[in-house]
Amino acid sequence: MGVTCVCQVPVAEGKSVQQTVDMLHKKLEQLGAVKQGNFWVDCETYQATGNATGQPTKLLYVMHNSETPLSSMALFEGGPGLTADANFDVLMVKLKSHFQNAKGHKVESRGTRYRYCDFLVKIGTVAMSSSARGISVEVEYCACVIPGDCWNLMKEFMQSFLGSSTPELPAVFTSKAEGLYAPVDCMDTMSQYLELFGKVRKQQVLAGSGVR
Amino acid sequence: MSGGPAVRVSIESQCERQVQEVSLDGLETYVPPLSMSQNLAKLAQRIDFDQSSDSEQDGPERESREPWSKPEPEEDEGAVKFQPSLWPWDSVRNNLRGALTEMCVLHDVLSVLKEKKYMALDPVSQDPIQTPQVFQLISKKKSLATAAQLLLKGAEKLNKSLAENQEQRRQRDFNSELLRLRSQWKLRKVGDKILGDLSYRSAGSLFPHHGTFEVIKNTDLDLDKKVPDDYCPLSVQIPSDLEGSAYIKVSIQKQSPDIGDLGTVSLFRRQPKAKPGKTWHVKLEAAQNVLLCKEIFAQLSREAVQIKSQIPHIVVKNQIISQPFPGLQLSISLCHSTGEKRSQRASPEKSKPDDHLYVLEHNLHQLIREFHKQTLSSVVMPHPASAPFGHKRLRLAGPMAYDKAEISSLQQSEGLLEKIIKQAKHIFLRSRTARTIDTLASRIEDPQIQAHWSNINDVYESSVKVLITSQGYEQICKVLSFSVKRP
Repeated sequence: MGVTCVCQVPVAEGKSVQQTVDMLHKKLEQLGAVKQGNFWVDCETYQATGNATGQPTKLLYVMHNSETPLSSMALFEGGPGLTADANFDVLMVKLKSHFQNAKGHKVESRGTRYRYCDFLVKIGTVAMSSSARGISVEVEYCACVIPGDCWNLMKEFMQSFLGSSTPELPAVFTSKAEGLYAPVDCMDTMSQYLELFGKVRKQQVLAGSGVR
Repeated sequence: MSGGPAVRVSIESQCERQVQEVSLDGLETYVPPLSMSQNLAKLAQRIDFDQSSDSEQDGPERESREPWSKPEPEEDEGAVKFQPSLWPWDSVRNNLRGALTEMCVLHDVLSVLKEKKYMALDPVSQDPIQTPQVFQLISKKKSLATAAQLLLKGAEKLNKSLAENQEQRRQRDFNSELLRLRSQWKLRKVGDKILGDLSYRSAGSLFPHHGTFEVIKNTDLDLDKKVPDDYCPLSVQIPSDLEGSAYIKVSIQKQSPDIGDLGTVSLFRRQPKAKPGKTWHVKLEAAQNVLLCKEIFAQLSREAVQIKSQIPHIVVKNQIISQPFPGLQLSISLCHSTGEKRSQRASPEKSKPDDHLYVLEHNLHQLIREFHKQTLSSVVMPHPASAPFGHKRLRLAGPMAYDKAEISSLQQSEGLLEKIIKQAKHIFLRSRTARTIDTLASRIEDPQIQAHWSNINDVYESSVKVLITSQGYEQICKVLSFSVKRP
């Protein structure tokens, strides 16, 4: 459990998603990272039914992470989040009348997991209905839980293999009431992933010119 | 007289008391009046007892002589006139006089008696009560007979109970033995047979052995002959594969094993005292021990085969050999002797020093019992209907978002064999460290090295404090504290 930063890496010019991913793998292996299995993160969308007309329907996102295999996280966009047991999915089935599963909107990111000393790098292919839409890179610094203390180190590390696609400090850390020096939560990771998935979804919408 | 104002007339009572003295300031002190008792005393003093009695007796005589002796009565009258004023006390006076007389007489008699010269006391003889002697004899006999009967009855009762106890102890009734057996072992009745369970299944073991023993009634007792001392009307029949006794031998040897020697460690180091007529208690305990050793060995061999490790473990017959360190061999063997074969006592093992590590054998027993407890632990039961089986803390894994490292730390991942190998490694490392420190300390004279080993150690960790001092220099002192940890 450490400070995580999730960012999206744009697909290289003239190359496919898979090739970009392979390039990143090679860079990491050159750096000296060791492959340590696979990971996956997925997100399901639930629409709240029965709210007043005129208001936009609230979307509930239920996410899972292979790092916390026994948990399910449920969050609203920009709103409160909840961490629960794996039985939460069964609960959502029971709440069918209040929350409808938007089956076509399931997004997931799968890939390999690399370990480089105290850093965990996860490079995944973001896929929506089994079509690859983008690349997600998650860098976790396991030795620290305060983003303010280790952000510079993480940025430097990311620069070494991401180059120009290094992200800025994620908004989740700055938007906290206590600021940068509050300890991280798994919710922060999930919010970042949610943001990324939202971006990926919108990208496709834009690219497909309105066709979902 | 009329007219004139009233004249006050003061009346003073006559002063009845005499004036005792007149003080200088004119104050008169009166003689205090006599109290009643004082008055009485004064009057009583005026009684003349002697004169009154004479005067009484002479009274009527004087009255008869009155005509011819007139001048005498005049004198006597004076004395007699004195008497009527004391009349109320007369009877008192008489009584007192009488009492005084009698007291004087008694006093005189007693004083005369005391001297014993003139008077003596003698008891009044009474007539003796004449009872016939025969009657006395008969009554005495009867009372003695009653007493004797009571005592005899009591003695008889005591004798009877004593005899009963002895008889019981000798014969040892089957039912009382069965009761004793039932108080310690689980029994159940199947048809007309009584079966028991000596396995650890109720304690949490998962070993598939049934562990059933049968209770048999011994009816071959010949009451005419003398009952043998170790006779027991109850005997148990244990499964044939649990007969004899067993133990797990754990040893560490330095040399590499000779392949031909494998599988020959089945000989007993300890001589089992095989009595032909073992009581059921000893038999059952031995059988249970054999079962436990078998379970331990089965678990160890299963793990040895399944778990992949860098240096594979060798499992041969009843021995497991593994190499915790290169050149070091750890052998765990199950020694089961049925008590019949005595011819194989001569073995090469005897010449070697006894390197059986009792500590590890004990630890093996402890570990398997812990493993049993885990299947039955209260940590697992009771649990909510929706939660999966497992450690209670695992239920928090979801809401607290435990990652894989935390989850695996909660779950048991190490097997029996791995634990024992780690413990053996630790024992070896510790002895080697101690030896090294000692050789260094004896070889190096300056600075001086002292090692203090801690008494409280873990199976996986020990700690030693090494003091390196230089004689004469108090400030120069380096303290090394290190612990031999598990790898």
